[in-house]
Formats: sequence, structure tokens, C-alpha cells
Amino acid sequence: MFFFTIRRLLASVLVLLVSSFLVFALCAASFDPLEKYYTQNPRPPESFFNNLRETLGLNDNFFVRYWNWLSGVVTGDFGETVNGTPVTEQLWPRLMVTGRMIIGAIVIAILLAIIVGVIGAVRQYKASDYTFTFIAYILIALPTFWFAALLKEYVAGGVNDLFGQQLLYTIGEETPGLSLYASGWELWSDRLGHLVLPTISLAALSFAAWSRFQRAAMLDVLGSDYMRLARAKGLTYRRTVLKHGLRNALIPLTTVVALGVGTLFGGAVITETVFVWHGMGEYLLSNGIDQNDINVVLGWLLVSAVFVVVFNLVADLLYAVLDPRIRLS
Amino acid sequence: MKLSKRTSMLIATGLTGAMALSACGGGSEDEGGGEASGGSGRVVFGESTDFPENLYPNIAAGNATSVANVLIKVLPSAYHIQPDFTVEFNEDLFTGEPTLEEVDGQQVNTYEINPDAVWSDGTPISAADFEFTWRANRSGDPADGGCPAVLSTTGYEQIASVEPGEDDKTVVVTYETPFADWQGNFENLLPAHLMDADDPAAVCETITEGWPIAEGLPEGISGGPWQVSNIDAGQQVIVLTPNPEWWGDGPELEQLIIQNIGNDPTTAVQGLQSGELGVIYPQPQLDLVEQVQALEPNVESEINFGLTFEHLDLNTQDPHLADPLVRQALAYALDRQEIVDQTVGQFSSDAQVLNNRIWLNTQPEYEDTAPEQVKTQNVEEARALLEQAGYTAGPDGFYTHPERGPLNIQIDTTENNPLRQTTIEVMIPQLAEAGINASFNANPDIFAGAESPTSLEGGGFQAALFAWVGNPFITSSQSIYQSPQGDNIQQNYSRIGNPEIDALFAELATEPDRERQAELGNQIDGLLWEQMATIPLYQKPTFVAHQANIEGVQDNPTEAGPLWNSETWTVE
Repeated sequence: MFFFTIRRLLASVLVLLVSSFLVFALCAASFDPLEKYYTQNPRPPESFFNNLRETLGLNDNFFVRYWNWLSGVVTGDFGETVNGTPVTEQLWPRLMVTGRMIIGAIVIAILLAIIVGVIGAVRQYKASDYTFTFIAYILIALPTFWFAALLKEYVAGGVNDLFGQQLLYTIGEETPGLSLYASGWELWSDRLGHLVLPTISLAALSFAAWSRFQRAAMLDVLGSDYMRLARAKGLTYRRTVLKHGLRNALIPLTTVVALGVGTLFGGAVITETVFVWHGMGEYLLSNGIDQNDINVVLGWLLVSAVFVVVFNLVADLLYAVLDPRIRLS
Repeated sequence: MKLSKRTSMLIATGLTGAMALSACGGGSEDEGGGEASGGSGRVVFGESTDFPENLYPNIAAGNATSVANVLIKVLPSAYHIQPDFTVEFNEDLFTGEPTLEEVDGQQVNTYEINPDAVWSDGTPISAADFEFTWRANRSGDPADGGCPAVLSTTGYEQIASVEPGEDDKTVVVTYETPFADWQGNFENLLPAHLMDADDPAAVCETITEGWPIAEGLPEGISGGPWQVSNIDAGQQVIVLTPNPEWWGDGPELEQLIIQNIGNDPTTAVQGLQSGELGVIYPQPQLDLVEQVQALEPNVESEINFGLTFEHLDLNTQDPHLADPLVRQALAYALDRQEIVDQTVGQFSSDAQVLNNRIWLNTQPEYEDTAPEQVKTQNVEEARALLEQAGYTAGPDGFYTHPERGPLNIQIDTTENNPLRQTTIEVMIPQLAEAGINASFNANPDIFAGAESPTSLEGGGFQAALFAWVGNPFITSSQSIYQSPQGDNIQQNYSRIGNPEIDALFAELATEPDRERQAELGNQIDGLLWEQMATIPLYQKPTFVAHQANIEGVQDNPTEAGPLWNSETWTVE
């Protein structure tokens, strides 16, 4: 297991290196960080452009630029943005913001997926199964941004009208400036009110697909011989399903969730934009791609790739916990 | 009704919060000012442009609309641009209107600073601040004591000296050569006592580093009604509170909160609807305007026409468009009234066709200088011109030239801009009527550098639709219409010019008198119509919307923006 982990890590580093090189090449070919100044009116003097090219290293050879970036990254320095702010300083707080959203969403989505999947399998072809199936397919089919917009328009509006006060919010992580004069419960309830809708919108989309996997895996397990044996030995139905069935049915879900984290990270880009959370997604779109900023795009890529790699490692470890046979081999 | 209840709840919580705050901070608020102290209420402004990385306005990193909005009532400016595009001197900063004289053939301006004017740390605002502001913007060349990080030296590079007059509260500015737009100088006065150093290299270092957003302004300095009191870079929120040393009127609010909301129109509308946002200033789009107008009477909104104008640029290095007859034919074939009706005319019945490139419709200096033929669609004349240029109509109705080939014109524009797409879609059938085969092309590289072959700068386009951001200070348009000097085209993407226009621009740049400026500008524009390399279309609208209970919000469709009078806002 230990060597397996090491091998996996080394392979991941190699993948990161290759992908960063490819992205760097793509960005270097298509990004022009000076773009926004060409149409500025009056136009900045030529000395300004020369200075900026020099500071951003645009006059250097492509490989030199990549090497400079790479040697920085090894020491934890992701370089500076085109505006001269260190990228590293931005990545961490933004990862925290996105992480808060994603972790919450993953937990909710997994719990819901298991519950709904198990109910769907145990009560196959009953009314509840059909209802859940119907809901799941609707959610899978809905585009993320549209679903999020629906939540903002109807759920937020509806709940707030129902209670006659602002309980759910649609913009940002807290009411701006609130922390200047509020504290304790007022502040935390406000933050909770801001957190609910983005988390739901992220969770709902992953949950839908995951619950289908869970249902299929559960059906598979329910029909297996060891389940019948367990029943024959006199265990109650409920105990068989939860103790023997669920445990085995969780293994496929682990894989799906680990892979899904990458998707979720991408999905968070849209959710963040819709709910105006200033996280990783916005960093990629507004600060990276819109500003023609290579260092930002690469920083984002590395962080998100590490995120995905780590979750896949966790999944591997979880297999071992769930399935003792892996530990034996 | 439901909505108003919710809104009033929010306002109520905001008010109690504000009351709690003012109760806590009572001690420090009481001194000085008299009626000026103690505003109440909080307003959240939803900023739709990018959150800045730096607040120092004169370097690239701080050259953003969001920075301008923060600073407009924090750092003092000599002149303010009014909503009607006139410029007025800062009555709080000066005791009287700055004077313009000619002394020994040199332009001299004298500014009398208000004796009460102080920075928020108590240091008087003096001639030293003007002198330092000049030095900090004067040059981009280190050999000359300048700083390469300075984004623009326009206006300051022509100044010979900035000196105190009789005392420190009088400033005498002498120009080497007369400068037409002197009123645009000394915008964002810098605090010399916090930034100055004897060594130009040290000053340059200070400038290059600027004011990183996480640190805010040095010592939280302010010379205006607002002071930047709190910045949350993570959540992209900037909180402005009243400057305790402010000697003028206002602010009437306890806090003005600038929150970045991005440019997604849905967010802006829903934030306004739910009461989370007080004031928004998004780019107007048809859906957005309709949705906001549906929120009346809880929300009020206003459309104005700003200093940015859309135009079609024709590349005179294209084989077809090099021929003035073809350019003329193209202009004659367009029905610009219909273009306006189908685009900005949908937002506002005040939208007009723009017939001048130097002055815009809503400026007092504006004159309609357009020739009669471009005021309506003249298909017959357009066809005649093309035939005169040697084109013959093919069986499909489109013209072809024996050497230049079929008359296909591709119109480039920016990506993902519905308004521009509509503009071109309206143009295409109009041009087709005159036998010109036009097509639409969203060009992602349009504003890229010269290395990019399809960019404006690279010259690999035929016609391009984009906007110029104007300001009341007119010398900025010189770089657009000046004849190219070899490879250096500046911003003259059409790559055409003539000595007569150049001479008039040279005169305009050194003409401080507004009436003569108006005359010269209109004269230049008349000549530009003869070139027909730039076809102006319309002024772009601006859109401000706010909760009805916020009083005093008035759009300023210039670069001054919606916060230009924010110190007078009140909340009911």
C-alpha cells in the first residue's frame, strides 16, 4: 500500500508537469497581457510598454519563461500576476472559499446519494423509487447556472417572503461590512444564510448522478448470495441491508465520488460566479483568462490538479477500509 | 408589497446597525465639523467591474474603473466632470476658480487652496502636494528622473514648474508649451508628506509598488468626504466611512460599501430585488433594463448617454477600402438611424445617430458635421460610386472588381457582445442592398498586440466595430486620427491621415480656450468625414438603478461614474 501510494504520487507529479507545460504553451501562444492598454485613450507612452514587457519577462524565450516559472513553483512561488501581485497569496484564501463550498456540498451530496440510492434499491419500482428517479433525472439534465439562478429567484425569494425577513442571501459570503459592527450569532446566521443556496445548488447536481450509481450498486448487492446467506442465518432484513449490503455497495460510489470531485471543482466555477463568491473559479475566469494572465491560470491548474489527486488517493485508501481483500493483497 | 416589506426590514436592520455603530463611536465623532458629522444609514454599491489589485491610480495595476469609483471622493481633484460633460473646479478644495494667464508666452495657471483643506491626518493640503503629483507623473524615463511604471504622462510632461505662490496655499503651474486640457491635470492629488522622497529612484520605487489592495491607502489617507476604512480583499468589499477631518458638506451616510458583484446581469437584478444591493451600475442590456424597470416603484433607474461611442473603423490598407470611393459607398449604403433604432434605441427614445467623432451628441460643443448623403440610406449613390470605382455587379447582386476581386467585407468585432452583434446584423442587409457582401466576425484577438495578425494593431482586418472611451478633455483623440509615422500608427487603426488634420490637432492640443477648441474640433471632424475611414454610429448608454429609498443618486455618464456625488446620498 505504501509503495502503491508513492507510485501514485510520482505519476501525479509527472502528469502535473506535462499538463502545466501544455497549458503554459497554450497560454504563451494566445495571451497578450498588454492587450487592455492598446485601446486606452490616450495611449500610454512606448516606455511604459517596454517596461511592462521587461517586467513580465515577455521578451524572454519561451523555454526560459517556463523554466523561470517552474523553478519558482518548486519553491512555492507561483509568480506574480500581470498587475504585480503574488499569485501564491491569492490562491490559499480562494481555495478556502471554494473548499468551504465544495466540502459542504460533497458531504450533503454523499449522504443524500446514499439515502436516496438505498431507498430506491430497496423499494425498487415502488412510488418512492419512481419519484426519486424522476427528480434525479431532472437535476442531471438541468444546466448548473440555470439551476442556481432558479434557486436565487424562487427559493431565496420564497423563503424570505415566507418568513418576512432576509434569511437566504444570493450575493457573497456575508452581508458586506457586517463584520464591522456585528458579531456572534448575528454574524454566523448571516454567513449560514449566504452558504445555504450555493451549497445546495452544488450538492444537488452531484447528488443526482451519485444516487443513480448508489441505487445500481445496491441492487447488485441485494441480489447476491451472501445477502441471502445472511438472511438465512437469521439476521433481520434491515440489518442485512445496512451492515452487509450498504458496505459493499459503497465501494463503487467511492470511485465515482473521487472522480466527481474534479467535476465539482469545475462546477464550482459556475456556482461561484452566480452567487458572487470570490473563490478559485472566479480567479481562473476573471483574473486569469480575462486578464490574459498565465501565472494565474497555471496556479489554478496546479491547485485544482492537486485537489483531484489528493481525493483519488483518499478514495484508494477508503477502498482498503471498505474492502479487507485489498489490504490482504 | 411583499418586496417592500422585506426591503424595509433590511433597511431597519441596517439602521439599527448604524445607530449601534454611531453610539459606540460617539466620542470621536463629536469634535469639529458641526452639522457635517453624524450621517446615518448604509448603502451597498454593487461594483460590476473587476476588483482592483492596487489602489494607486497612476500605474497599470490601479488603472481600473473600480479604483476610480473608490477614489473619486477620497483623493481630491482640481476639477470634476459634471453629468452634462462640463468641468467644474473643486469648490471645496479651492477658494475660487483657478486662473489661466499667458506670461511671457507661457501658460500659467494659479490655484488658491482653501485654508481649511487638510488631509485626514491633519497635514494641510498645500502646494507641495501639487508639486509632488506633477513629479510623480511627469516622465516615464528613469534617465530623466522619471518612472517607467507611470501609465500616462500626458498633461504633466508639458509642465515646466509647479511652485508655491505667496504662501503654501497658492500653487503656480507654468507650462513649457500651452496645454489645452490643463483642467484634466491634478486629478487624484497625492499626499506628498506620505510619499515624497528626495531621490527620484526612491519615489519611483514607491510608485511602482503602488498601494496594494490588501494594505489600502497609505495611513488610510483622505482629502475628501470619504475615507477608505476597511478592505476585505477576500470578499472583495471596500467600506468607505466619513473622513473625520473633512471640511466640506456631507457625507450623509454612515457607510458606503462597495461590493464587487461581477458583470452578470442576473446577479445585479436579483440583488436589487432582494434588497442586498442599494445601487448598481451595470452595462445596459435590453433584458437587464426591462427586468430592473419591472421592479418599480421600489427601484428607480435612469438611462443616460456617456462619453463612449461606437464606430466602424475601415482599414485603408485593404485593397477595396484603400479606395475612397468604396469607403464612401459603404457609408452611403448604411442606414444609421435604423442601426440606432434596433440597438440602443430599444433602451431609450433619446438615442441619436452620432454625426461627430470629436464631440458627442450630448456635449454643448457638438455640431452635426456629416455630409447629407450619410444621413439617410443612399443605395443608388452608393452603387454609382462603386461603378465609378470600376466595380461591376455580378448575377448575385454583389459587386466585383477586375483586379481587387469580389467586394466582400468582413466586419470584425469583440466576442460575446450582443449589442455589437445586432449592430452588424442590421448592417449586413443594408450593405447587401448596395451590392456589398458584408459578413460578421467575432474576433477574440481584436485588441491584441501587433504580433497578433488579426488584431487592430496588427492591421489584419477589413472593417471593425468597437468603441472609443472619450472624456471631456479632447486632446486624447489626437492619437486616433494623427497620420501614422512609419510603423508607429499609435491608435490610428485605419492607417490614414493628412497633414491638414495633423496641423489642426497640433493647434488643438495647445489651445486652452474652450470656444476655440469647439471650433477646431468641429473643423477636424469635417475633414474626417472626407476621409471616411471612421464612421461614427452612436453614443453608448449608461444605466444606474437604485432602491427608491436612497435619495440623491444621480448618474454621471462620464468617467466620474455613479459615485461622483455619493457624499450627498441619504437613506430614508
